[in-house]
Amino acid sequence: MKGKNCTWMNNYDCDILIVGSGPAGATLARYAAAAGLSVLLVDKRQELGAPIQCSGAVSRHALEEVGIPLDEEFILEAIYGFAIYDQSGSATRIDYRQLKGDEYGEGEGKKPLGYVVDRRRFDRYLMTLAERSGAETWLKTEGLGYRTLPDGRCEVSLRNFNRLLSVRCKVLVGADGLQSQVGKWAGLQTHIKITELAGCLQFIVDQVETDGLLEIITGHEWAPGGYAWVFPKGHGYAEIGLGVISTMTDHNAQWHLDKFIQQSFFKDRFRNCRILEIQGGGVPLAAPLRTQYADNLILVGDAARHVNPITGGGIHTALSGAKVAADFLVSHLAGGQQQDFSAAQLKGYQDAWLAAIGNKMWELYHQKTKVFHQEDIPTRDAYLYRTMSDYFDPNSPYKKV
Amino acid sequence: MSKLQPVIFDIGWNACINCGACVAICPQEAGFISPFDTIAVDRPCDIACLLCENICPTGTISHRPVAEGDPPRPPERGSWLAPQHPNGTSEERMPPKH
Repeated sequence: MKGKNCTWMNNYDCDILIVGSGPAGATLARYAAAAGLSVLLVDKRQELGAPIQCSGAVSRHALEEVGIPLDEEFILEAIYGFAIYDQSGSATRIDYRQLKGDEYGEGEGKKPLGYVVDRRRFDRYLMTLAERSGAETWLKTEGLGYRTLPDGRCEVSLRNFNRLLSVRCKVLVGADGLQSQVGKWAGLQTHIKITELAGCLQFIVDQVETDGLLEIITGHEWAPGGYAWVFPKGHGYAEIGLGVISTMTDHNAQWHLDKFIQQSFFKDRFRNCRILEIQGGGVPLAAPLRTQYADNLILVGDAARHVNPITGGGIHTALSGAKVAADFLVSHLAGGQQQDFSAAQLKGYQDAWLAAIGNKMWELYHQKTKVFHQEDIPTRDAYLYRTMSDYFDPNSPYKKV
Repeated sequence: MSKLQPVIFDIGWNACINCGACVAICPQEAGFISPFDTIAVDRPCDIACLLCENICPTGTISHRPVAEGDPPRPPERGSWLAPQHPNGTSEERMPPKH
């Protein structure tokens, strides 16, 4: 804490206090601090990114768009395309090494389409970038609550290594994930339907070959309500996982993952697989929150449900949403004269976000909903396979969401 | 799915992978969580929707009805959890300096 140990916990004031240092929180912190705002970024964990609740796939475009260096510190493996499977194992391959071989590939002057990252290293790297831009970061610091102050700011109650402290800020940012407590403090409608939250489980495994593609396996037989995946994970490892909607099955994700590994058309490929890590999480296949702001408060990332409802991917949407939020806050707080941080003012963030990203996410949500409104399972399976294949098509209007 | 009787949840910690799905689906107010980022297991849940049990990827959440002698449900907590001080400043609710 940069030699401020004697005084840092008393009378701490800042422009922006961010609860949660994941991709969204740390990226917002970096942009806001670089623009000259005083930023405090807190996270209750001792080690960012862990426990891992994410497959780690992200496009190169998503990283470059928000100025994240393509650093080997966090990159596990380069990705060059997709393979979408139907229930029986027939696949649509979208390999950019073949589609646009002069641009994408491993050779000199060529580039990958995306990466699988190590979330522990990635999240730490993003926090480091925020620190180097001037943000103050405190680990083992949990948010407990907030209240508005008569001067237009708010006061946030925190606990750091068992010590209670409070910090005054102009805007509190909830970047505390899908389990967001900050959104609940503000009374925002954060509840997600059980039909729209996939229970996910994945194994990092040895002895499974991959080929630089993100493989997505559709079909009610393997992953009712969601899909299964096989991703390259670097060092010769792979990641096998799936997500299911609990109202569409009598079994949990673990049962389905065991079945997928032992009985699917990949059972020979998986025969010698050895489990190295076990990870899981809830993945929203849902609409973004309708209201992502309150007095002195905005939500970003998973907390605002900035997650692609077709793929469940959340890194790109967290990063780009965080930049929209940072741009808004920097502009709104410019000059230090602005003293109105009410919900009516902060609505501007959500408006900017809808225009930049959100309206497209709503369209994706409607597409996803149409798929799962199909009651007949074979019809729904065919529809999902087609939707996924179209989504990853090089000409898809949505591939940059 | 919903039950009227309040329940107390039990988590088989050995199978818990700390994925947070139970908290993500939980309709309770802020703070119904354990120190291990799961739903609370030390107080009754009066909603008893059991969505947490349904979503758990490893099926490691179970419940029992509230019984005599169980801890009571704590009073509702407001959004401001630090001790209040009459003059509205925060200095005096700070722990002593070291």
